[in-house]
Amino acid sequence: MTQVIARKEFIEMLRDGRVRWTGGIVLVLLAVAFLTGWTRHHELTRQHSAAQEATRKHWLTQGKKNPHSAAHYGIYAFKPKLPLAVLDTGTEPYTGVAVWLEAHKQNEFKYRPAQDATILARFGELTAAAVMQLLIPLLIIIMTFGAFAGEREQGTLRQLLSLGVPARRLALGKALGLLAGLGVYLVPAVLLGAGAILFASGTVESAASAPRAIWLALAYLLYFFTFAAIGLSVSAWARTPRLSLIALIGFWIVNCLVAPRAAVDLVKAVRPTPTAFDFAQNIAADLAGGDGHATPAARAKQLEARVLKQYGVSKLEDLPVSFAGISLQDGEEHGNAVFDRRYGELWDAFDSQNQMRNWIAIAAPLLAIRPVSMGMSGTDTAHHRDFATAAETYRRDLNRRMNDELRDHGKGKDFGHLVGDDFWSQVPDFHYIAPDASWAVRNHAVPFLLLLTSAVAAGILCYRTASRLRIE
Amino acid sequence: MLEAIALSKTYGAHTALHPLDLKIEPGEVYCLLGANGAGKTTTINLFLNFVEPTAGQAKIAGLDVTKQSIESKKHVAYIPETVMLYRNLTGLENLEYFTALAGVEKYSEAQLRGFLRDAGLPQQAEDKRVGVYSKGMRQKVGIAIAMAKKAGALLLDEPTSGLDPKASNEFSELLKRMSGDGVAILMATHDLFRAKECGTRVGIMKQGRMVASLSTSEIGHADLERLYLQHMHD
Repeated sequence: MTQVIARKEFIEMLRDGRVRWTGGIVLVLLAVAFLTGWTRHHELTRQHSAAQEATRKHWLTQGKKNPHSAAHYGIYAFKPKLPLAVLDTGTEPYTGVAVWLEAHKQNEFKYRPAQDATILARFGELTAAAVMQLLIPLLIIIMTFGAFAGEREQGTLRQLLSLGVPARRLALGKALGLLAGLGVYLVPAVLLGAGAILFASGTVESAASAPRAIWLALAYLLYFFTFAAIGLSVSAWARTPRLSLIALIGFWIVNCLVAPRAAVDLVKAVRPTPTAFDFAQNIAADLAGGDGHATPAARAKQLEARVLKQYGVSKLEDLPVSFAGISLQDGEEHGNAVFDRRYGELWDAFDSQNQMRNWIAIAAPLLAIRPVSMGMSGTDTAHHRDFATAAETYRRDLNRRMNDELRDHGKGKDFGHLVGDDFWSQVPDFHYIAPDASWAVRNHAVPFLLLLTSAVAAGILCYRTASRLRIE
Repeated sequence: MLEAIALSKTYGAHTALHPLDLKIEPGEVYCLLGANGAGKTTTINLFLNFVEPTAGQAKIAGLDVTKQSIESKKHVAYIPETVMLYRNLTGLENLEYFTALAGVEKYSEAQLRGFLRDAGLPQQAEDKRVGVYSKGMRQKVGIAIAMAKKAGALLLDEPTSGLDPKASNEFSELLKRMSGDGVAILMATHDLFRAKECGTRVGIMKQGRMVASLSTSEIGHADLERLYLQHMHD
């Protein structure tokens, strides 16, 4: 009986012009999103690897120079794109993907497309993630709003129940029919998406991302399931399909338009982060001794006394090593302590904002699927932080190597020690490997659990409302 | 086959149906007559368990319709005033769907088409979507659904309203055939002529009360009309 109901629902859905149009538009938009995602991904990856190669080549062939000059010359590090980034660009347009690693400073990331974007960018880029998060729920609403309410208005519900069809069987059949109807649009979408990922990143890298893809798919299925169950529940509850549609569109607006905006404002008000300007000012002030430590001049005096004592000499000129190297490294270390503290504070503030936003997701599943989607795609703040930390570690190592070289091979106040290409090649290249899927899942355990909870809750709601099906 | 025992329904202060006792045996056609709001549809809805009785019992084939709601419906077919169908499915698909859900034996396509023809649906309409059907055609699909269910009891709520005289006459013939097959039929109607024609008994209802119940063989058409009007004027 369930099968008969499911089949009839499926046939009706295929013949319903509203579903066909909405589904068709969603598919076209998804195809466009995949296509742009693929070309963007392909192009950016190519540009990044070319730039990465160029920056390394420049480093290796910079010729004879002082190591500290080389540290100022610096290198660029590019955050590699994971295959699933085709689907979800995440925070990358805002946080940037490239950082210049140089002496003295932990730099902000560069290449932030959002900086160059027009006001239109506020509507968000057309990514597959946006289509899946915003438009597929709309398709599900179009498919479900009349499921019971439509039959109630048409009078066929009366006819069905007069036949002795149990309401739960009816609901189950309708859910299965809906599943098949959704499949008509989702299966080609998944194939298109897999194609886009494979074309953009190649089979080897794509296969390595399979665990991430499975978690991503699971999260989206939970998200869609929640909408489907809510759609069926509202349809079972509402007297007319019109009321059902209004209620569901209302929920969609809250979930997709109001909640994300409200969450941003609320989180910003409760857990504020410093502005970029204040952040830079704070670091500058700390470096100048504003953090309670000595001023740079006083520290230089102390260091000088300490080094003279250590080597048992009375003048810097008599040192067997270069004081410049020691002093530069001392400056680095002081700077690093400041960066660690200030960046640590900033990252922790972002984390606490994310956590707070996670909890708002109880009311709006979009706020739960968004971080999970970005996280699995490797484009969330956690991945950004992981990359930034790796790049900073590399920068510090690079600077230490330069300063040590200067210290060990120079003498006294000597600053003029020169090295050549064979030294540059001793510095290892910057290699970054993104964390694995389980790391990403652990980062988003809370939104994952919320997605699961809302799916289960919506399922129970659906079961309950369908069991108490009213005829009129 | 159909039995009401002190069956009543009240909505707040309003009594839609005063305690009703009624028994319809297999082969009987019981016609409920009365003005709108007399309690005819309430009675049928109570048998279908669409509304909960305030007191009393409705039984189909000996099964209490509230306690054995799903089971009791296996023994009854229902044709409302306007048969409601799925507009995006064809007449044949609608019949196939409803018979499958009725849980009766699996019919072949030819058998299903046979039911539609027996119900009087034009053959070329069978594969057209119901969205383009006239009311009469929908009604015929409803009749086919009821016939295909082969239930022991039939509940009809003004099934012939809006049908042309020919279709209405065919419908009467069908009812006679079904009662001949031993089906117990309860039909709410405004059509005195039809009631006398194919009913075996008639009951006149007024403001939720059964005011008269008699066998059609005892009374002529003119007398029935006089009796009816007399009750309506009281």
